[in-house]
Amino acid sequence: MSVVLLIPLILYPALLCRRFPDGWLDGMTRAHTPPAVELIAVTKTYGAGEQAVIALHELDVSFPAGTFTAVMGPSGSGKSTLLHCAAGLDRATSGDVIIDGIPIGGLSERALTKLRRSRVGFVFQAFNLIGALTAAQNVALPLRLAGRSPAPGEVTAMLGEVGLADRAGHRPSELSGGQQQRVAIARALVTRPAVLFADEPTGALDARSGREVLRLLRAAVDHHDQTIVMVTHDPLAAAHADRVLFLADGRVVDSLAGPAGVQEIAVRTARLEEARAGVAS
Amino acid sequence: MRFAWQMVRHRFASFAGTFVAITLGVAVVAGAATLYLSSRPEAPERYSASPVLVRSPSVGENDYGEPEYESWTATEATGLATRLAKLPGVTAAAADPMFYVQRLIDGRATGDPEAARLDGHAWSSAALGGYRLAAGTAPDRAGEVAMAGSPPGTRIDVLTAEGPATWTVTGTTDGPGFYVPDAVALRMSPGVRVIGLTIDGDAATVATAARGVAGSSGEVVTGGERDSLEPASVTRVRWLGAQLLIALVGLGAFAAVFVVASTCALSAAQRRREIGLLRAVGATPGQVRRMMYAETLVIAVLAALAGLPIGALTAPLLAGPFVDAGLEPAGFTGTVQPLALAGAFLLGVVVALAGVAVVARRASRAPALDALRDAAVEWRAMTLLRWIAGVAAAVGGVVLLARLSAMSITVRSTAGLGGAMLLLTAAALLAPVVIVPLVRLATWPWRRAATGMLVREGTLVAVRRVASTAAPVLLTVGFTVLLTGTIATIDNIQGVDDAAKLPAATVVAPDGVPGLSDTAVTAQTGTSRLPTRVLITHGGGTAGYDAAGVPATEFAELTAPTASPSRSATPGATPSKPAGSGATPGKSATPGGSPGETARSGGTPGRTPGSDGQSGVVLDPATAKELGAARGTVLELRWADGTDERVPVRAVVAAEPGVLLPRELVRRHDPAALTDVVLLDGPPVAVAGARVMPVRDYVQIDIDEEGRLVDLFLAVLIGLTVGYTGLAVANTLLMATAARRDEFRALRLAGATTGQVLRVTSAEAVLAVAVGTALAALVAVISLEGVRSAVEAELDRAVPLVVPWGAAVAVTVVCGLVAVAATAGPVLRHRGLTAGGGS
Ligand SMILES: Nc1ncnc2c1ncn2[C@@H]1O[C@H](COP(=O)(O)OP(=O)(O)OP(=O)(O)O)[C@@H](O)[C@H]1O
Ligand SMILES: [Mg+2]
Repeated sequence: MSVVLLIPLILYPALLCRRFPDGWLDGMTRAHTPPAVELIAVTKTYGAGEQAVIALHELDVSFPAGTFTAVMGPSGSGKSTLLHCAAGLDRATSGDVIIDGIPIGGLSERALTKLRRSRVGFVFQAFNLIGALTAAQNVALPLRLAGRSPAPGEVTAMLGEVGLADRAGHRPSELSGGQQQRVAIARALVTRPAVLFADEPTGALDARSGREVLRLLRAAVDHHDQTIVMVTHDPLAAAHADRVLFLADGRVVDSLAGPAGVQEIAVRTARLEEARAGVAS
Repeated sequence: MRFAWQMVRHRFASFAGTFVAITLGVAVVAGAATLYLSSRPEAPERYSASPVLVRSPSVGENDYGEPEYESWTATEATGLATRLAKLPGVTAAAADPMFYVQRLIDGRATGDPEAARLDGHAWSSAALGGYRLAAGTAPDRAGEVAMAGSPPGTRIDVLTAEGPATWTVTGTTDGPGFYVPDAVALRMSPGVRVIGLTIDGDAATVATAARGVAGSSGEVVTGGERDSLEPASVTRVRWLGAQLLIALVGLGAFAAVFVVASTCALSAAQRRREIGLLRAVGATPGQVRRMMYAETLVIAVLAALAGLPIGALTAPLLAGPFVDAGLEPAGFTGTVQPLALAGAFLLGVVVALAGVAVVARRASRAPALDALRDAAVEWRAMTLLRWIAGVAAAVGGVVLLARLSAMSITVRSTAGLGGAMLLLTAAALLAPVVIVPLVRLATWPWRRAATGMLVREGTLVAVRRVASTAAPVLLTVGFTVLLTGTIATIDNIQGVDDAAKLPAATVVAPDGVPGLSDTAVTAQTGTSRLPTRVLITHGGGTAGYDAAGVPATEFAELTAPTASPSRSATPGATPSKPAGSGATPGKSATPGGSPGETARSGGTPGRTPGSDGQSGVVLDPATAKELGAARGTVLELRWADGTDERVPVRAVVAAEPGVLLPRELVRRHDPAALTDVVLLDGPPVAVAGARVMPVRDYVQIDIDEEGRLVDLFLAVLIGLTVGYTGLAVANTLLMATAARRDEFRALRLAGATTGQVLRVTSAEAVLAVAVGTALAALVAVISLEGVRSAVEAELDRAVPLVVPWGAAVAVTVVCGLVAVAATAGPVLRHRGLTAGGGS
């Protein structure tokens, strides 16, 4: 146990000085390091002609490295679409997406897959793991897909970080929903990606499991300087983030910086819903 | 990829369809191929001590692709044998004349009738089999015989082509056969076709020397070439078996491809999310593809390994039934055939990889986003490639069927089956196109009911699933209707023919013997033919013809100047079936002319051989045309005994067979010829090896024999198809239904009872079966029409199409029941409302 915990400490001594994210982020980091992901005038349209749906509207967003961003907004506002485009899972109709300094517009499907493999991690709401593989094998999957054998202890260490070192040999069907989600997080982080995207990672979990997952995500940002973008409907979840973006009809309509209070987030969300209801009526 | 094995283990249910299909396919192909390869021609046992043999020259092939041999005359044979015997390294050279002899016990002929045609031998040929006298002395005079199983001094009753005789056993041999003095054997047999050498030198050296001596008048065979000396009757039996085995291999392989392709497609479609997830976490399309190949390879290898022992172990067990059914010669056994096993294994693996190749390309390109969307809508069912392949197969099938009548008989049935297979493939490929309109049409009346709506929308959304289920049904119903329909259509013509032409007379027919002896024929008052085979040289080529000897008076009448050329010499029945119906080659019964038109033989056919110096030949118009002969043309004819004669054509009349000769000449040149049947015009006289029956019954013997074979073929082929595809229907539906557990749970949560869910799934299953049946009907009708018009062109008259409704309905109902049962299973098993574990 102690050895497992030591490994990240040895590997990442730098994280010790970034214990407290409160003030350092705004001023210095943004100035020195490029953003992990940047969207420039991204538009995403589904369908064509009369049935066309504009899911994203000339969106300009950047996700600075080492930050935890929550994306909120009413259903259908384009949150998932934003995530898919930012992650290179889907191609924007127009505009540029730059992941870790690389514009993905010109990449082939194969090159994009490789980029995703090494720079991007995912956690979805559900169906995150391959049922045939054990927890450890699931975590090792991205490494193996990259043609690399995990270093001895690497996978166990990763599982240890999410508190599942003793469940390495279990299959997803033998794990609870929260445990499965933690394995998914371990898998997403094992390649130390430039950015981790999570689409409603707590949506299918009970409150306690949800808190556990959010604590892990927060810890990854705090201890490993991980960049995270998380879509959520839950103000409680969003309160774990450094910044909250509010989306409506494919546009960023509001944002909250710094660790915001649950109350504040809930108020803003309610206001957005009201505005929307007003427009609709 | 190393995960393949784990994937397979975990998701075995979704691979089960492929596994079962491959296992069965490999088992069928391995078993059938084992039997097929086990049945190679073998040199007769009785040449086992003769490493070098010389056979008479071949003059080409007959209509069935068998070589046609001419005979050496007795003089030629003994001359050649004497010269061969003088070669260094040769200890003896024995001419091997063969003739008909069958033992009579209590007046009844014993033993296999067809084999008895070649049971009589010359004493000197016993050495070719290494047979020796265990007791007594060699036969020395006419009426003496050496044989196994009887002590010297025994008097035995035998039947020969002349008639019954009583012989004295002078010696007891340690090998089978009746051995008479050489001179007697030469007299009783129609020429010699084999001379065997026993040697004390090197076989190759002796063979080379023998070739020098034989020159162009004989072919020297050694080693494996000796196997070509297998009697034609045995080879024909093998040929029959081979037809069934080839059909089994073809059908087994085709069904495997068909079923594997559709289950692969289904399981790939079902795994969309998993594949999407893999793509999302960084698997390139190539990696996904390789993983799918690896999984399939694992499955295919396991399935093939499971199928091989099934096939290999079943094959020897089937040898017995094959012999009993007359599809393999007596003594046939299935032996291990590494080639058959390797081929079947390879086939299984290749088929599986081909099946997955089609879907892997597409699946691997699935966007990673598929993992995140839980849309029920499937991938587009029709791709450009599928369109092209489907249309190409349809066009190919139709063209093949349309050209059927222009093809030669030997390839016609294969081509017909091939055309039907292409059409079935086309129907399966294009099924998604017709499924939507068909389903709309079929569910129209119930569109307002909840069940109707669910079935309709569920099916329309899952076109691929329906296509996968419909595919095996299509194959089963299509094949059944096509096979039974073809047979029924041909049988129908047959029935019309026979009923119209059979005279209401009585015949004397062989009873436990291959044919009637002269004694049996002369005892009767009636007409008969003495069949033989002659070689006729014309236009620089020589070909064999079936010929028959007719009694002097009838021959005289046929050749009389007053004879009307249009008169038929054989208004009698022709019980041989039209080509393509699996008829036994070279076998046709000809009960002779009808009493109203032919002269009476008065009970003395050929009693005064050559007394009136009759000669010449009568041809039927077709043969005359083939030979370019007309009345007065002189033909070069070689008799069965090897003697040549120039004979003038006396008349050209409708005759069966195409060459008629004076009976006494036939008898003189073919001492072993046996009469097929005597059409009586007087009271029958009881003789050994003959029985009396109505013409109708006699004709029926051959029809029944053929019907038995046809029914056997049908039963085996349809049984295989129905069994195979029934399994495929079951496991496609099991797979599909199991994967829809969540959907059914949602239905139940929405208030549906288990009964209602069952109604929905059953209706969907029935709908899929209906789609398959409709497509099958279309294919079968097109193929049957092709077969029908080919038969029509062949017979040059209208042939009505017979649709086997009974068989079609029966297989459809079986498919329907299997389908409903297979869907009900998973629904009933997972009745709970809680989510099942795992994916
Ligand atoms: N594949 C698609 N085809 C057509 N339209 C789509 C597709 N995916 C999303 N849309 C539309 O794009 C818009 C944005 O969808 P998106 O999934 O991004 O919303 P969301 O904010 O994630 O909603 P939710 O909170 O419900 O998940 C919606 O109007 C949706 O209908
Ligand atoms: Mg969403």
